[in-house]
Amino acid sequence: MAESKKEMLLDPLVDNNPITLQVLGICSALAVTSSLQVAMVMALAVTSVTALSNFFISCIRNQIPSSIRIIVQMVIIASLVILVDQILKAYLYEISKTLSVFVGLIITNCIVMGRAEAFAMKNPPIPSFIDGIGNGLGYSLILLLVGVIRELFGTGSLFGVQILQTVNNGGWYVPNGLLLLPPSAFFVIGLLIWAFRTWKPAQVEARDFKIMEAEGGH
Amino acid sequence: MGLRNQFDKYAPLFEKGGKYEKYYPIYEMVDTLVYTPKTVTSAAPHARDHADLKRVMTYVVLATIPAILFGLYNTGYQTNSAIAAMGLDVVPGWRAWILSTLGIGFNPDSIFANVVHGLLYFLPIYITTLAVGGVIEVTFATVRGHEVNEGFFVSSMLYTLILPASTPLWQVGLGIAFGVIIGKEVFGGTGKNFLNPALVGRAFLYFAYPASMSGDTVWTPVDGFSGATALGVAAAEGLQGLAAQGITWTSSFLGTIQGSIGETSVVAIAIGGVFLVAARIANYRLILGCLIGMIGLSTLFNIVGSDTNPMFAMPWYWHLVTGGFMFGLVFMVTEPVTAAMTNKGRWIYGALIGVMCILIRVVNPAFPEGMMLAILFGNIFAPLIDYYVVKANISRRMKRHA
Amino acid sequence: MPNSQEMNPQKQGLLARFKAMPLDSAPRTITVAVVLCLFCSMIVSGAAVMLKPQQQLNKVLDKKVNILKVAGLYEPGVDVAKAFEKIEPRLVDMQTGKFTDAYDVNTYDQRTAAKDPSMSFEPANDIASIRNQAKVASVYLLRDDAGKITRIILPVHGYGLWSTLYGFIALNADGNEVSAFRFYEHAETPGLGAEVDNPKWMALWPGKQVYDLDGDVAIGVNKAGSGVHHIDALAGATLTSVGVDNLIKFWMGEQGFKPFLENLKNGDA
Repeated sequence: MAESKKEMLLDPLVDNNPITLQVLGICSALAVTSSLQVAMVMALAVTSVTALSNFFISCIRNQIPSSIRIIVQMVIIASLVILVDQILKAYLYEISKTLSVFVGLIITNCIVMGRAEAFAMKNPPIPSFIDGIGNGLGYSLILLLVGVIRELFGTGSLFGVQILQTVNNGGWYVPNGLLLLPPSAFFVIGLLIWAFRTWKPAQVEARDFKIMEAEGGH
Repeated sequence: MGLRNQFDKYAPLFEKGGKYEKYYPIYEMVDTLVYTPKTVTSAAPHARDHADLKRVMTYVVLATIPAILFGLYNTGYQTNSAIAAMGLDVVPGWRAWILSTLGIGFNPDSIFANVVHGLLYFLPIYITTLAVGGVIEVTFATVRGHEVNEGFFVSSMLYTLILPASTPLWQVGLGIAFGVIIGKEVFGGTGKNFLNPALVGRAFLYFAYPASMSGDTVWTPVDGFSGATALGVAAAEGLQGLAAQGITWTSSFLGTIQGSIGETSVVAIAIGGVFLVAARIANYRLILGCLIGMIGLSTLFNIVGSDTNPMFAMPWYWHLVTGGFMFGLVFMVTEPVTAAMTNKGRWIYGALIGVMCILIRVVNPAFPEGMMLAILFGNIFAPLIDYYVVKANISRRMKRHA
Repeated sequence: MPNSQEMNPQKQGLLARFKAMPLDSAPRTITVAVVLCLFCSMIVSGAAVMLKPQQQLNKVLDKKVNILKVAGLYEPGVDVAKAFEKIEPRLVDMQTGKFTDAYDVNTYDQRTAAKDPSMSFEPANDIASIRNQAKVASVYLLRDDAGKITRIILPVHGYGLWSTLYGFIALNADGNEVSAFRFYEHAETPGLGAEVDNPKWMALWPGKQVYDLDGDVAIGVNKAGSGVHHIDALAGATLTSVGVDNLIKFWMGEQGFKPFLENLKNGDA
C-alpha cells in the first residue's frame, strides 16, 4: 500500500470524509443526533462494526465466490450488528431504547457496505481494519459535531448537562425546537459540507455546466 | 443631473481595476436604485419589455401598501382593545412610554392612536429584518460579485407582514437570516431560489419556536392577554366557537381580528392583488388555480362531513378570510421565481397549493394553518410540474407531425 | 490444474479437492455460504442466549425505576432492587375492581396482555383511544412500616397527538389526592407536547383531587380554570393536552380504576 497507516486513519476525517464528501450514511446521522450521548454510542457502534466487518471480510476475501460476495458481506455485517445490538441492550439499556431501530439499520449503512466492497475485498486484514476505524471516525466526527449543535441549541444541554439555562426553567435561553426534529440535521450537515468545502476547495465538484454570461458584465 | 455626475465620478473607483473593485455590487445597488441600468443584453434572446426585475419588485412593494396600512391600524387596534379590556392603568414598555409622552394614549376608537401604536410594533420588526437580511444579502453579493437587487425589499416586507406583532426581535433576525441564507443564497441568489425566502424564514420560526409562533396566545402583544386566532378556534370548536368569540365573517373579511401583522384584512390584500394582476405582475392563472383547488376540496369536505373534526364543516368562504390564505394567494403564490412558469403548469401549481392548504388545515391535527406549508410544498413541485407540462407539449407536437 | 489430480480424484482429501475447485463453481459457492451462515448464526445465537438474562434484568429494572420515580423514592445512584422492596406489586381485575392472583405478579406484563385478544377486551367508551384494554392491570402499593397503604401507583396510557403516552399516576392513601404523575414513554412534538416531561408541568399535579364530593371524576387538563381539580393545559399543545385529559378521565373513571379505588377504600379489594 502506498498510503501509510496514519494516512489511512486520518484521511477519512476531513479530506475524504464519508458523510461530507461521499454523502453516505446520512439516514442515521439525521435520526440519532438530537442528543450527544446517543450520537456518541451510535458513532462507537458504527466504527466498531465497520472496522470488524472490514477485518473479517478481508480475512476470507480469497475464499469468497464473487457471485455471492455481496450476500457474504451482508451476513458478516448483519451478524456484527446484531451482536452490537445485543450488547447495547444488555449493558446500555437506556441508550439502546433511544437508538431502538437505528442500531439494526447500521446493516444498511452505506459506509459499512461501501468500505467492505471498496477496500476490504482487495486489501489484507490489518490495513482493512485500520481503514474501517478511519472511516468510522470520519462518520463519528460529523455525528458528534451535529450532535453538539443540535443538543446545545435544541435543548441547551450537552450530554444531558444543562449548559444554557432554558426559559422554561427560569433561565434565558429559548430552545430551538427545529433542531430537535430530524430534518434539522439536513441543514446542519449541509452547512458543515459548505464549511468543509470552503476550507478545502479541492472537495468542490466540477460544475456540470457553465451558465452562459447573459449580460455584458462589468 | 448632479447626482448622475456624482455617480459617474466615483464609478471608476469601483469598476474593474479600480481601488474598490470588490465593492462594485454596493455601488451598483445604489446606482441602479436611482437610475435605469446602463448595461444592455448582449446575448440572445433579446426580450423587450419596459418592466425589468427592479420595476417588478417595486410594484410588488407598492401592492403591499394597503395591507401594511391596515396592518398598522389593526395591530394597534388589537393591542389597544386588549389594554382597554384588561383595564390596565399603567401600560409597561417603551412603546407605552412614547405613546404616553406624546399624549397619544391607548384609545382603541382613535384611528391615529391605533396606527401609531401599530407602527411602534411594525417598525422594529421591519428595521431588524432589513438590517439583518441586508447585511447577509450585501455580503453574499460582494463575495460572489452579484448585483444586489430589490428582491430583498420584497422578501423583507412580506416577511414582516406574515409575522405576529409579538415576535421577539432576535427571533425576527434569526428567521430572516435562515430564510435568506438557506432559502435563497445557497441556491445561488435571487432568481435561482426555488423556495420563497420570506416563507422559509417564517417556517423556520414556526418549527423552531412553536410555543411562541403557533398562534395560541401570542398574537396580541400584551402580557397576560390570551386569545386564539380564528383558525385555532375553528379547529378546536368549529364555527360555533368562532361566533362565541365574536368573530364574524365580516370582521374576518375586513380584518379586524387577531393575526399576523399584514395577513388579516382580505380587503386590503385584495386591493394589492387587483393592482398586481392589472400591472401584469401576478399571473391570474395562479390565483384562479389556487382558488379552484381551495374551493373544490373544502366543498368536498363539507359534503363528506365528520362528527369529530369541526374543520370539515368549514365552508370555503370562511377558509378564504381566515389565516394567511389571502395573503399567501396574492403575494406568495404569484411570486414568479418560485411558481410554475408554463401556463398549464400555473393552473396545476395553483390548484396544488389550494388543495394542500385545505388538507393541512382540515385533516392534519397539529397545524391549524396550512397556507405557508402548502406554498412551500408547491414551490418544491413547481419545476417538476413545468417539466411534465413541457414534456407533454413536446410529445403532442411529435404526434401531430409524425 | 495439475493432471495428476484429475486422474486420481478419489485419492485426495476432501479439503484439497475443495481447494482445487474454481472459486465460482456451484459446490464451492454453496459450501462457503453454508459454512459462513452456520458460523454466524452460532455466534449470534450464542450472544443472544448469553446476554438474555442481563437484558431482561434491564427491562425489569427500567420499569422499577419508573415506578420508583413516580413514588418519589428514586434518586440517582439508589439501589433500585432494595428501594423497590418497599413497593408491593399486585394485580387487579378491571371488571370486578378486586385483587386477583390469576397470573404471576412478577412476570405479568399488562402491555403484552392488552395485545392478546384472550386477555383483553375493547372498552365500551374508549375516550383515551387505547382500543384494547387488558382485563388485568398491574398496580403498585407503597406501605408504611405499620403495613398501612400510603401510596397507590396506577398505570395509565392513552393517545395524544402522534403517539400513545404511557405513564403512572400515584395517589395518596385516600385514593383521591394525586401525589405524582409522569409519563415514561411517548413521542409527542418536541417543545410542545413533549413538555409533558417538563418538571414544572409535572409539579402542577401533586395535591390535586381526582374526584369531586359526589365521587365523580372531576380532574381535568384544560386551558381555563382553577382549583383542586384543574391542571393547566400545555401551551401550544392542545391535542396532547386533550389526550392527557382523556386518558386521565378514562383511567380514573368507571372503566378504569374507580371500582378498584372504591373497593380499596372500603377494605374489600
